[in-house]
Amino acid sequence: MLPALIALTPLAGTLLPPALQRHGRSACALAAAAPTALALCALLVCLPAVFAGQAVEFRAAWIPQLGLSLSFVVDGLSAFFALLILGTGLLVTLYARYYMPAADAMGRFYGYLLLFQGSMLGIVLSDNVLALVVFWELTSLSSFLLIGYWHTRPGSRQGARMALVVTGGGGLALLAGLLVLGGIAGSYELSEIIERRDAVRSSPLFSVALALVLLGAFTKSAQFPFHFWLPHAMAAPTPVSAYLHSATMVKAGIFLLARLWPVFAGSGPWFVLLGGVGLATMLIAAWIALFRNDLKLLLAYSTVSHLGMIVMLLGFGTPAAAVAAVFHILNHALFKASLFMNAGIVDHEAGARDMTRLGGLARVMPVSAAMAAIAAAAMAGVPLLNGFLSKEMMLEQASGTVYAGVAWLVPVLATLGALLSTAYSVRLLRSVYFGETRYAAAQVPHDPPPGMSLPVAVLIVPIVLIGVFPALAAPLVERAASAVVGASLAPLELVLWHGLTPALGMSLAALLGGLALALSVSRTSRLLARLPRPDAKLLYERGVDAGVAAARWCIERSHSGELARYVACIVVAILAVAATGFLGGTHETGSRPALPASGGALVGWVVLAAACIAALLGHRDRLLLLILTGAVGLVVALTFALFSAPDLALTQISVEVVAVVLLLLALNLMPKTTPRETSTLKRCFDGVVAGAAGLAAAGGALAVLTRGFDPISAYHLAEAKPAAAGSNVVNVILVDFRAFDTFGEIIVLGIAGIAIVALLDPALREAAARGASAQVANSPAPPSPLLAVGTRLLLPLVLTAALYLLLRGHNLPGGGFIAGVVVAIAFLMQYVASGHDWAARRARLDAHSLIGGGILLAGLAGMGSWLAGSAFLTSAHGHFSLPLLGQVEWSSVLLFDLGVFATVVGTVLLALATLARVKGPVIETVAQEQVGKVARAEPQRVRRRGSA
Amino acid sequence: MNHSIALPVVLPALTACVLLLAAGNDLRRQRLVSLASVIGLGAIAIGLFAGAAGGPQAYLVGDWPAPFGIVLVLDRLSALMLLLTAAVGLAALVYACGGWDARGRHFHVLFQFQLLGTNGAFLTGDIFNLFVFFEVMLIASYGLVLHGGGAWRLKAGFQYVAINLVASTLFLFAVGLIYGVTGTLNMADLAVKVSSLPEGDHALLRTGALLLFTVFAVKCALVPLHWWLPQAYSAAPAPAVALFAILSKVGAYAIIRMHTLVFSADPAGVSTTLQAVLVPVAALTLAVGAAGVLASRSILGLAAYSIIGSMGTLLIAAAGLEPRQLSAAIYYLLHSTLVGAALFLLVDMIAASRGRAADRIVPGRMAHARVLGALYLVAGMAAVGLPPLSGFIGKVAILESVRGGPIGALAWGVILGTSLLLIVGYARAGSTLFWTPPPSPVGLVRARSLPALPTAVVVTLLAATAMLSVSGASVLTISAATVNELLTPGGYIRAVGLGSSPGPE
Amino acid sequence: MELLVASAIGLLTAVGVYLTLRRRTLPVTIGLTFLSYAVNLFLFSMGRLAVDQPPIVSTGRAAYADPLPQALVLTAIVISLGMTALMVVMAIRGYLETRSDEAAVRPGDAVRDFGGSTARTDA
Repeated sequence: MLPALIALTPLAGTLLPPALQRHGRSACALAAAAPTALALCALLVCLPAVFAGQAVEFRAAWIPQLGLSLSFVVDGLSAFFALLILGTGLLVTLYARYYMPAADAMGRFYGYLLLFQGSMLGIVLSDNVLALVVFWELTSLSSFLLIGYWHTRPGSRQGARMALVVTGGGGLALLAGLLVLGGIAGSYELSEIIERRDAVRSSPLFSVALALVLLGAFTKSAQFPFHFWLPHAMAAPTPVSAYLHSATMVKAGIFLLARLWPVFAGSGPWFVLLGGVGLATMLIAAWIALFRNDLKLLLAYSTVSHLGMIVMLLGFGTPAAAVAAVFHILNHALFKASLFMNAGIVDHEAGARDMTRLGGLARVMPVSAAMAAIAAAAMAGVPLLNGFLSKEMMLEQASGTVYAGVAWLVPVLATLGALLSTAYSVRLLRSVYFGETRYAAAQVPHDPPPGMSLPVAVLIVPIVLIGVFPALAAPLVERAASAVVGASLAPLELVLWHGLTPALGMSLAALLGGLALALSVSRTSRLLARLPRPDAKLLYERGVDAGVAAARWCIERSHSGELARYVACIVVAILAVAATGFLGGTHETGSRPALPASGGALVGWVVLAAACIAALLGHRDRLLLLILTGAVGLVVALTFALFSAPDLALTQISVEVVAVVLLLLALNLMPKTTPRETSTLKRCFDGVVAGAAGLAAAGGALAVLTRGFDPISAYHLAEAKPAAAGSNVVNVILVDFRAFDTFGEIIVLGIAGIAIVALLDPALREAAARGASAQVANSPAPPSPLLAVGTRLLLPLVLTAALYLLLRGHNLPGGGFIAGVVVAIAFLMQYVASGHDWAARRARLDAHSLIGGGILLAGLAGMGSWLAGSAFLTSAHGHFSLPLLGQVEWSSVLLFDLGVFATVVGTVLLALATLARVKGPVIETVAQEQVGKVARAEPQRVRRRGSA
Repeated sequence: MNHSIALPVVLPALTACVLLLAAGNDLRRQRLVSLASVIGLGAIAIGLFAGAAGGPQAYLVGDWPAPFGIVLVLDRLSALMLLLTAAVGLAALVYACGGWDARGRHFHVLFQFQLLGTNGAFLTGDIFNLFVFFEVMLIASYGLVLHGGGAWRLKAGFQYVAINLVASTLFLFAVGLIYGVTGTLNMADLAVKVSSLPEGDHALLRTGALLLFTVFAVKCALVPLHWWLPQAYSAAPAPAVALFAILSKVGAYAIIRMHTLVFSADPAGVSTTLQAVLVPVAALTLAVGAAGVLASRSILGLAAYSIIGSMGTLLIAAAGLEPRQLSAAIYYLLHSTLVGAALFLLVDMIAASRGRAADRIVPGRMAHARVLGALYLVAGMAAVGLPPLSGFIGKVAILESVRGGPIGALAWGVILGTSLLLIVGYARAGSTLFWTPPPSPVGLVRARSLPALPTAVVVTLLAATAMLSVSGASVLTISAATVNELLTPGGYIRAVGLGSSPGPE
Repeated sequence: MELLVASAIGLLTAVGVYLTLRRRTLPVTIGLTFLSYAVNLFLFSMGRLAVDQPPIVSTGRAAYADPLPQALVLTAIVISLGMTALMVVMAIRGYLETRSDEAAVRPGDAVRDFGGSTARTDA
């Protein structure tokens, strides 16, 4: 339980500080310190066991299917890192309490800090690599939030984004790498992966896994060439820089390398990559650091350089090197964190971080100066301080290492790196604290409140202690190191004096050389100022912007908003699929005997073809197009009639009438011609596409028409009469066998009607708003009163006919739908004859309830069968006799058909009546149009704004 | 016969009629009726979900035996989808009651019909009936897209309708071909018949089948059939779009259903061809979606392209017949639906609180920036697939399942690569919206109190995605069971009453 | 006969596609109408062609045309009627709203509203 407690307490406490926001900074600080302290206690409880050599574990399943579990292990290494994280965490919490400006919302700040702390602990403690990735990405996220904490500054935003993208992206690579690794090992538990290292090493995917994991680690630990994000992360408040970007988060990558050391270390690529990258990073970063004037930037680059050194040590792959690495992790964390806090103090007190504007502060703030001196000296590697020891060990390892067959390469470069680090340490100290007194603050700087000095002091003490009595650190380092190499090491003794080893000479050389360089740096820097320096941030920003631009180019070009293009795309795709499908399988032409072509059919075909061609050529004249459409519709209806589908013929004709009237109404309100606006090329292309589609359709049809099959409809033919009491099988299918389709169908129709009204409603209201309604009412007088009277007399007849059609539908062509359309058409005629104000009055009979009622009726007719315990839409039937019609088969489906009828009437009436009412306002607006654009533009813009 | 199987279709229909007949223009009554019905729907869905554990059940509409009548089939997958629909529907409806439904007439009626169509599509076992329900679903969605009016909606809506009508036409061509060759419309019957189809008919069957899958691909907005989505989704009112998050999944559902039920035995090589085509297309879709997110100038576009990307990810996994892969796909389907809905509702709230700047990704004054920013962070994490939310789990599940398979390398490359693009896109948008100070900092947006209900809805949806990740184990167990059922179509076929089938066990 | 019907379907499809590829709303609508003619005819013919065999059961007749595709087509016709009607009205509204019947979406059109009315906060 304890290990989980360590990691999860800070995460659980994340919301605590924000909650205490209004109780002041100290409350927030305490709220942040409490979970940290708690976790630290839990860790301390674990320590004895760890030092006794066994690991404290906690395992809980999360998603076993993915091998993702919450298993936390406290062993030497994780304990070592957890101590660093929690220890510095406490100090930083205290420090930030006094450092952060009074104006800032500390609750949020501490919340982010705890989020980071918890995730970081998760990384070092979790034994499950997938869980490790989870926490890994969480640290990236929290560092994003912390760097962007002062988000009104552009630098913060850019730095935050850059950090997120680089480390988050690295996280993705890491995820991939660990998935591969786990795949090879057959488990995502670190301990098991390490156990099966031999299997891993022999796998062909080994190098892939290694490369991906290293990508993750290098990005996180800011190794060359991914080092550029770290300096820009310095936009974060200094406590964050001290905590995340020197002591802990940037060490996550190194931690990972240390963790996987047993798996990878010793392999060729590991040595080459880590050794090379580490060394390069160490040198390049140190060189840059030497010429940075911003305190934090100097420290940032020096951090990168030291991380490089640690990576190099891990790369060497020898246990001794691993010990040196671990030891330096500890030492670096101590002196670098204290230096960062010190830089913060300087910034806070002297009002500047730019070394060119600072100087001689030792006189005014002696305590800070003293502590800075010690820490810097440790970084420079001055004897009797901790930095000296680990650097000595590093040089010792380097001296024995042959890289790329060159014996002197590593030793010389390593010494050079050490030399540079001495140089910038000296330069820092010299230009800030010595020389003539300079500062940017209004009043004379002085040592900060104890709240800020104390954390630094707490870090300084171990620097000295370890420096003088190295043995103090031995147990911790030894535990951690043995956890790294995965075997208990020979009990190591850390001592000051190794005798006159080459390493001693190298470090002396480094010290003196560094000193000399530091004293001459001002001249060199002036020299170097002329040399061009690549600005990584600029490159990065350019890269991202270029990416965005490219994406925009692709997306916005392709998504031009041209419907024609979209449809063309889709049609071509469809044809491609069809071709793939057809050509991929065997096809035999059918053997079904063809029907002889009748003369009538031929005539019909010719008419159709003519109409089609005319439509193609003359489609710009819209009225003509409408007429042709009607004609084609009629031919289609006749085709249905010819091939023994009377119901279809009736339906097609009636639908045709409605559709054409609709289109005419539309045309009445819209331009009468279509402009020619496409290039000949485009038209040819369209022609080709259309032709291909036509051929495909025709081919498909012919292929099927010429082959036999036995469809399920045999059953329908056989059962219609006996089982469903209807001889018109089509209608029986519609209202009984497949009534469910029809139910959906009338719903579609109903929705169409409703949607149309909802759509036209605003138009009417606007018209009314523009006071147009007056003109709306009195439309042009009906063409001829005689016609009007005639149609009104006709109405009852039509209604009876419709009723007849409805009733007989089950046995003869007809049925609810056709009847409905007929009735609707009757009303339509009324409208044509009597003008739309009359129709508008008729429209008062609420078509909405007609639709609703119709669907409801159909639904209820279907549910009636539930009472009988049978399924939805089960029919029941019998006989009854009517005058005129004689014996009529009644059937529960009649109710259903009635529902259909009502819906159809309702929809058609609704659509037409509403359209009719739009007519008025439009004529009126068009008139306005001609009067002057302003009159129209104004209300429209107002409408837009109203909605914008 | 379990009549409650018909209820997901019947209940919304009746509700819509009641709304039309009784509720008139009284918004309060409409809301009450609508909400009550959707809650009822949820209860029914839960019941059906529990019932589905006992294996597939058929409901013979009109008591006509399959394949002659229409049959509704309840199995684990359809039950799961019904549950999801009810959940997202409820969320969207509550959000709409925050005021969207007052922007035009008949919102609730159309909403109910939309639910009806979706549920029907999930339940039906008949391809023509599937067409009918697609149409119901679509025409209702047309109405919803246009809800509230405005030039943008009309123009975008017109394209949406036109493209979908092309798709519907194709649907009929496909159904026709399939009927013309096999003589049946019932899916189970089809599964039986295709296995014993004479070789000479294979070409036509393949054509019909692949065209059918193309129709579904249009619904999934797979590139290059996706054109309708960015516009329709950015034009439609937020709650409608939240519901559309399901709409696009209907396509995925149909692909999975037809593929596993009818073509899993790879008759006429349909399944092979399908996978060969679908996987690259899905990968391309994901890439386009990510590029779109990077390119978007508005958070609305950002959300829309995220949906496209998620459909790509989903289909990469859903294209196959490998159990782990399909199970991952189903998990990802749940995740992307919930996140998609949350994302669009959140975008609506953000845009509404930014005055003129609305949804454009430019610095601007904003009310409630803190809360909205936090929500954006969470939603973004989920959408991008950052841990610990469901997006990450889903992604890992997919990567896991395709590892070592034929599509492994492609899938890994695309999914991981696009994740980076998504991170960049979301980070840029977020920092511009919530971090960059407005050009003229004077006079903040007149901050009314944050609308309680909509906020609650978004929070709930995001919490749901978190739950999806916390209880990922049980969710994956469910999806595994679902897939297991899908890959043994014999049970389904027998349930429909065509037991004598040589259907692959 | 089969050839006539098949070629007719092809013609209708071609015209439909061509018109659907136009740039104005009304031609597109009519193009889709043509496509629905085509597909209805196609679907219908999937039941194969038969003359003088209406599927109306009467004693003494053995052969009937396949009723199922007829029923499907009837449904399809009705549905496409609804769709066409809606499209026509959309075309009209779009024209009234923007004074242009282009089927294209221009970036300038992208003005829309957000938030339920209670959530509105205006700058």
